[in-house]
Amino acid sequence: MTCLSPSERRLQKELMSLIKDPPPGVSVDADQVEQNLFLWTIHMEGASGTLYEGERFQLQFKFSNKYPFDSPEVTFTGSNIPVHPHIYSNGHICLSILTDDWSPALSVQSVCLSIVSMLSSCKEKHRPPDNAFYVKTCNKNPKKTKWWYHDDSV
Amino acid sequence: MRPLARQELPTKAVFYSKDTSVSHKIMASASEDVETTRGDGGESPNTKDDEKKEESLLECNICLDTAKDAVVSLCGHLFCWPCLHQWLETRPNHQVCPVCKAAISKEKVVPLYGRGSTKQEDPRDKVPPRPAGQRTEPEPGNNFSGFGFGDSGFHMSFGIGAFPFGFFTSTFNIGEPRPNVGPHGSPQYMEEQFLSKVFLWLALLFIAWLLYA
Repeated sequence: MTCLSPSERRLQKELMSLIKDPPPGVSVDADQVEQNLFLWTIHMEGASGTLYEGERFQLQFKFSNKYPFDSPEVTFTGSNIPVHPHIYSNGHICLSILTDDWSPALSVQSVCLSIVSMLSSCKEKHRPPDNAFYVKTCNKNPKKTKWWYHDDSV
Repeated sequence: MRPLARQELPTKAVFYSKDTSVSHKIMASASEDVETTRGDGGESPNTKDDEKKEESLLECNICLDTAKDAVVSLCGHLFCWPCLHQWLETRPNHQVCPVCKAAISKEKVVPLYGRGSTKQEDPRDKVPPRPAGQRTEPEPGNNFSGFGFGDSGFHMSFGIGAFPFGFFTSTFNIGEPRPNVGPHGSPQYMEEQFLSKVFLWLALLFIAWLLYA
């Protein structure tokens, strides 16, 4: 245990608590995480009673060795990217806690909860208005995008 | 989405009502030590669970381990000093509590001294160990301006390259007595006067051009 770096130690702790006590509809691909602690795949279900009920999504978390001081890189992956005004069709998510408002007291669990709640409060399924342009021009890393957080309603 | 960023872990409020027997575990060097001693007591699973819960009340909000060199912010949130220090360094212009985003600073955190701790030294006096990469990385802003300064200074001395030339000639003229100067009215005198005027005008033109361009 002593040879683990602080970020590995923390990720290990988060993994244990997420396996033991996951938020509703969220599960972590433990086998995959065991191979690389800095790359997590999370399975997420749309909450019941919302526009995404019955849908299944996949989230990817990429951590740097400065985690938790540096925010993780979080994107939707897989075949089903939720149609949402803050989620681009390449899986990038416009969510302030993933960049400017990140805090080391946040965790994979709290980020997952934020994303579930962001999906749940959606009133109308549509892509962001600049989706086509953004997807063509953006960097592969969503943290390189200068996000402009203007809409707090969803 | 945003409210969650400000959400507190519900355990924080109970922190103050801790019994003292647990509080010196703050100074335990690593949570593993505590975890192993907890296991062999032969307690019922129920008390183990309770203890585990109490234990998590003393966890640092950043590394999730039992807080080491513990400090508490004025808003009441517990951290290891090395962890909090690293976070404050990460955003020196925007220092906020990681848990509740209240304003926070080095002067406004309280070190915690448990009864078990023999050394009453302020954890803030210790230089916290930091990853090597953090220190070598220059601030993007500072680096840019510094570079720009050096660069422009370099250009300046080049741009006024004519001055050393002008300076040189003028000292030449003034500093050295001109033994070869022709007598007043001689053709040599006239020629020298003419040349000096030509060079003066050339120099003035050059300076004007420099200022203009």
